[in-house]
Amino acid sequence: MLKSLPIPKKYFYGLLLLFFAAANAFAQNSNITGNVKDKTGEILPGVNIAVKGNAGGTSTDFDGNFSIAAPAGSTLVFSFLGFQSQEIKVSGSNSLKIIMSPDTKSLDEVVIVAYGTQKQKNVTGAVQTLSAATLKDQPVPQLTQKLQGKLAGVQITQNSGIPGQGMTMRIRGAASISSGSDPLYVVDGFPLQGNLANINPDEIETITVLKDASSTSLYGSRASNGVVLITTKKAKAGKSQFAVSIYTGVQSIPSNGLPDMMNAQQFAQFKKEIAIERGQPVAPEYANPQQYGEGTDWLKAVTRDAPITNYSITYSSSGEKFSTSIIGGYNKVEGVLLNSSYDRISVRMNSEYKFNDKVKIGVNAAPTYTHNKTPQSDGIWYNSPSIIQSALLTSPLAPYKNADGTIPTTVGWEYGTAASPNWYNQVQIIKNTSSNVGLLSNAFIEAKLVKGLTFKSNIGVDLGNSVSDFFSPSTAGSIFNPPNEADASRISGAHTNQFAYSWLWENTLLYEKSIGSHNFDALVGYTTQAAHSESASMTGSGFPDNRVETLNAAKTIKGSTDIQEWSLASLVARLNYNYKNKYLFSGAIRRDGSSRFGSDNKWGNFPSASVGWVATEESFIPKNNTLSFLKLRASYGVTGNNNIGNYLQYANVVATNNPFNNQLLSGSSIAGLNNNELGWETTEQFDAGIDINFFNDRIRFNYDYYKKTTDDLLYSVDIPISSGFFNYTTNIGKIEFWGHEFSVSTVNFTGPFRWTTDFNISFNRNKALALGTANAAIYGDMTITQVGQPLGQLYGLQWDGIYETQAEYDSSPKHEGASVGSVKYKDINGDGVVTNDSKDQTVLGNTAPKFNLGFTSTMNYKDFDFTVVCQGAYGNKIINTAERFTANLDGTFNVTTDVANRWKSEADPGDGKYGKASGNTGPERDWASSKWMYDGSYLTIKNITLGYSFNNAGADYLKGLRLYLSIQQAYVFSKYPGNNPEVSAGAGLFSGVDNTTYPVPRTLAMGLNYNF
Amino acid sequence: MNKSKKKYSMKIKILIAVSVLMLSASCSEDFLDKLPETVVSAENFYKTETDFKLATVGMYVPLRNLYGTGLADFGAWAMGEMRSDNTVFIYNYNNRGYADREYVDQFIDDSNGGGVSNKYQNDYIIIGRANQILSKIDAADFDQTKKNNYKGQALFLRAFAYFDLVNYFGSVPLTLVPPTSYGETITPQSPVEDIYKQIIADATEAASLLPTKASQDAGFVANGAAYTLLGNVHITLKQWPEAEAALLKVQGYSLLGDYAALYDPANKNNAESIFEIQYLDEPTANAASNFAYNFLPILADPGVIPGFPSGSSNTYAGWNTPSPELIAAYQPGDLRKAKSIAFYTGEGYNNIPYIKKYVTGAAIAPNTNNDWPVYRYAEVLLFLAEAMNEQGKPQALTYLNQVHANPRTGLTPITISDQTQLRDLIQEERRIELAFENKRWLDLVRTGKAIQVLKAQGENIKANPQKYYYPVNITPPASSYNVSEKHLLFPIPEREIRLNPSFKQNTGY
Repeated sequence: MLKSLPIPKKYFYGLLLLFFAAANAFAQNSNITGNVKDKTGEILPGVNIAVKGNAGGTSTDFDGNFSIAAPAGSTLVFSFLGFQSQEIKVSGSNSLKIIMSPDTKSLDEVVIVAYGTQKQKNVTGAVQTLSAATLKDQPVPQLTQKLQGKLAGVQITQNSGIPGQGMTMRIRGAASISSGSDPLYVVDGFPLQGNLANINPDEIETITVLKDASSTSLYGSRASNGVVLITTKKAKAGKSQFAVSIYTGVQSIPSNGLPDMMNAQQFAQFKKEIAIERGQPVAPEYANPQQYGEGTDWLKAVTRDAPITNYSITYSSSGEKFSTSIIGGYNKVEGVLLNSSYDRISVRMNSEYKFNDKVKIGVNAAPTYTHNKTPQSDGIWYNSPSIIQSALLTSPLAPYKNADGTIPTTVGWEYGTAASPNWYNQVQIIKNTSSNVGLLSNAFIEAKLVKGLTFKSNIGVDLGNSVSDFFSPSTAGSIFNPPNEADASRISGAHTNQFAYSWLWENTLLYEKSIGSHNFDALVGYTTQAAHSESASMTGSGFPDNRVETLNAAKTIKGSTDIQEWSLASLVARLNYNYKNKYLFSGAIRRDGSSRFGSDNKWGNFPSASVGWVATEESFIPKNNTLSFLKLRASYGVTGNNNIGNYLQYANVVATNNPFNNQLLSGSSIAGLNNNELGWETTEQFDAGIDINFFNDRIRFNYDYYKKTTDDLLYSVDIPISSGFFNYTTNIGKIEFWGHEFSVSTVNFTGPFRWTTDFNISFNRNKALALGTANAAIYGDMTITQVGQPLGQLYGLQWDGIYETQAEYDSSPKHEGASVGSVKYKDINGDGVVTNDSKDQTVLGNTAPKFNLGFTSTMNYKDFDFTVVCQGAYGNKIINTAERFTANLDGTFNVTTDVANRWKSEADPGDGKYGKASGNTGPERDWASSKWMYDGSYLTIKNITLGYSFNNAGADYLKGLRLYLSIQQAYVFSKYPGNNPEVSAGAGLFSGVDNTTYPVPRTLAMGLNYNF
Repeated sequence: MNKSKKKYSMKIKILIAVSVLMLSASCSEDFLDKLPETVVSAENFYKTETDFKLATVGMYVPLRNLYGTGLADFGAWAMGEMRSDNTVFIYNYNNRGYADREYVDQFIDDSNGGGVSNKYQNDYIIIGRANQILSKIDAADFDQTKKNNYKGQALFLRAFAYFDLVNYFGSVPLTLVPPTSYGETITPQSPVEDIYKQIIADATEAASLLPTKASQDAGFVANGAAYTLLGNVHITLKQWPEAEAALLKVQGYSLLGDYAALYDPANKNNAESIFEIQYLDEPTANAASNFAYNFLPILADPGVIPGFPSGSSNTYAGWNTPSPELIAAYQPGDLRKAKSIAFYTGEGYNNIPYIKKYVTGAAIAPNTNNDWPVYRYAEVLLFLAEAMNEQGKPQALTYLNQVHANPRTGLTPITISDQTQLRDLIQEERRIELAFENKRWLDLVRTGKAIQVLKAQGENIKANPQKYYYPVNITPPASSYNVSEKHLLFPIPEREIRLNPSFKQNTGY
């Protein structure tokens, strides 16, 4: 009875229709042909065409032509990513001319969800998708940088400007105490162990962010922080395509937001004044500050304007049986800090082979090579020789280059600041490099067993090998520890080699069935994943001199090796049901077994359910253009977080060797307590959302409310040391999160001048409900998390100015070492004295923004396009710890220019910010307080791009050419005085503390996209 | 026919798919057990003699941190010596980052100080490791002599650590068995009397189990150490007859002929040494000491001090600098003075004193091979002198002179026999003989002189800071050296108070 159709010559399925590609049959067909163009007359290859009510279909070829068999009176549906779908009733005319209107989204669009796809309008969870089109142009190496500002409820921040690094993504304010808060990244079905930093953004077709429990629960014990699904580019229908895209630009450090350090003359004046204030003799070199000019600007000396270049070449071809797509990329980023860089060479090949219309196989392979040069740039100067902060603190009197062109190695005490290396030299001589080779690859077979039943088996592997090298010659040093070239014992080197892989095997059965108006699809599957990594690291000392930098030159080499493994075995099941696409239901469950948990707690279940109601499908709601779509949805589910280290449930015996009478003897000690009950963190999440479109979908509004409670937090709780141990890893504590997410997309103008805007804003809140031992607060570096309050608030003394007069001093509470002109803090507990401990330390401010927002505006006029992307956050506080040193009153470091206005006498009290340089400066310098705290609100114009497309259709060698100019990190509007208001965001309990980081550069680039 | 064949083949396909699903599901049980491959798990430890030997060695490791390995470990010398009138510090004009050490000397320290946590934590790590051994060793099956030896060492070290804690912090938790669950990790403070009772019981049992020094491996504690500790405890508690009895059992030790030889790394664990903290400067051992560097003046090149390699500045140094009072306390002709204190002129210093005892050179800066002397026989003799004198026994003078008039001091015997005068002389002798060995502060506390002596020294410092090595126009804070009863104990580290709200901070902090 059933009879298959002859397969059309250009039979091809777009990726998004994979699951609907079942065999079809219908009687009495006529062959419909036609041509599809967009409004500007450009032909559109790869447009999907299907007969409504039937699976299967075809797509336009490279010239925009198609041919499809369809019964008379049926309806053809034309769909194409980025365009509005169209439905055309098949009438007499055999040749159709279709003009498609562009659109950012379409409700018939199919979105990638966990273990499958779903029509956008049937989605009941909180899911947001971005397509490649919205990610082009930005001259940045990382995909996550391109996502900034574009996703509601997803906080993406750039904490540091180190090339190829420094991005943080937090979905719905995800935070944990000690386990990870990164979302799970899944590339073509493969859950990655790491992040997306080394993936070429040009390989990406779509990104789907799964936010609520119903959309994520199929990832079970890894889903609590949200899931990011990445689909890479597959070949689209058409003969073959060849595209080249190139951009090149220059990065520079924006001048706003840099600390205003004293120049040579100001610094000499400062040194002269403080000597006089302290009653010390003025050193001759400061006696006459006028003799000095600007001196050395150390930050300038160690930085530069640096080039960035990117090449991407795409070739794709698809035939009846075989289709393939190859993307090659080369990205080279020189850092604005000298000697820093990021290089990436990447290739991705995605191929599919169809045995017949029932069975197909596919292989994706993506090798990458990356090379990083990362001088120790970030952090506080004493933790490692962190070049950025160290350079700021170095005397402007000292030259970084001598008059004769030679480079001194040292900045001595004689220049007035602590002896240190010449940072210009240091940044170049320390070697800190790493090379990584990675291969992300998977192969699948998909078979349609019977009508509606599809079996899929997917095997994947993620391989990585990285080699890091470090060498620090005797001419390197740190503040207070200047180089001494002759002292070879200062030379050190290190070499680390890590090999890691994880593999995945996944088998799923999908059954789709419609009975009348009841539509079902059901999925069951079993999946296993395991990971193994081994590393060897060596450090060398006792080098004879600086000439040979490899460890073979070291007299003493110390080495150690490590092996880490984990495994996960899981069952997944899901049922989607809808009635007339009006009443929607989805239920899903994953059962996870994990090697990371204690023997009493190996397996966990993660169920979820969601419902939706498409009100505009109801007959009592008249369909009209004003209200074109209305959907209400709600979901509830349980997910987990297993993002902790391996083996934490086991107490281990570690080597504790000790010498006796000059002989080192082996020793061992127990390093902790066993915990057989150790398990995952559990998050229960409720989500309610509404999607409304007006005016024929020109205005699209989405709103989501969520509330989640994370319980059994994985936490290495501090325990009293009288137990013999510092910590105990257990499930303790409870955090509540809730928030609101809004997004509005509008098509403001259509026609020759087209303008669309996308705006999103999200409000994320949290509160700790229970914590560790005795609910003891968790302290970070100037942060506190306590029960009943938001996570990670800034904590310290409340700064109260300066004891400006004797009268003020006499009448105020005082701390040890206080005097007239010294710093003043509030006596919070009212005991009459100020102490730098919990008696007077208090909550100073919240590190979480009151809201985050993003805004994208896209304008097209004829052949021009113009896009602006903004991102902002409002209402968070940041402590700029650098001020502990950049406003140090001891004269040990260079300081900011405003320190000149410190308190000098009752008659000359300055601007009230800084105390006197004589007497006990310790409490001003060392005690964390609100003095260093600032409003961290910002609005950043992330990107501005202006493009021009040459429409020269017809020439064989030139199917499309577009040129553009792009500015990345165009401007930061912020009152925050540090260099980056995005610093330290997303660090959960320990956010909001700025220890000085690599500045985020502004990039001015030009690019071209060339298709032929 | 065709139809049924088709149906059949569909069934086959589904069967294949389902069996693949089943197959992949069947390998799960072992699959989820991943034991760490690079370490031994605790459940398999504390079984064999080797295990207890390894665990015994492991107990000694925190002692190195307790006495100062690494620049953060300053609790022992800052709280034991620099707090006293023996030493002060060189005001570090250019690096104010180490102020919490100054606060210990100036009596303005608080519960956040690095010194108190260094001491408190390492003492409890020792106790925790000793408890692990003591809770498991009786059940293990191996040679009884060896068992006694390991058990004795664990008991000694537990008693020693509790004695250190009770001396400096007073009432602390008395943990005697390792916790097995989270709930058991939180224990209340015990009264000082209970802690002393346990120390005495442990030290007594340790003394009975441990072998003599002659039959113990060098560097490990022998019964002499246990008796010395017991004597020290009784002295502190003013239980003079018990002290005498314990101390008389310290046998098999003798004084070295050369005072400087005591501190020479070439003479580790010598005939006079009863208990010393073992260090090793072999670079791969990670077990070097570096207190000698801490005690030098701050120098651009420590190589100017004989024995040290030329090299990086020790800007972290300038600590435990001999005070003018101590320098004046040496009697004329005392040979120990030049072996204990040296002076340096240069780099802006004019005759600045520094501790010479531990200056025996280094191969690679700042790693030295010096051990730290905790108990040596000279102290036992002085303890005996004290115990005898307090009981009015004439042997006091004999014991005192064994130290005072030893040929190595170049001094003549003391002949005074008045109990009160002798009491002071014994303390003076302790001050000189045991200078820079972390004895002075506790001696002042137990003899009730701490407040008066340190208040007086503080006034002198404030009156003439430059005499105490302050730069011109720098003075100690007004609130410093306001020594009172509260300062006889140190504050309990802030971390512990936070984790156990029922914890009582020492009065006044």
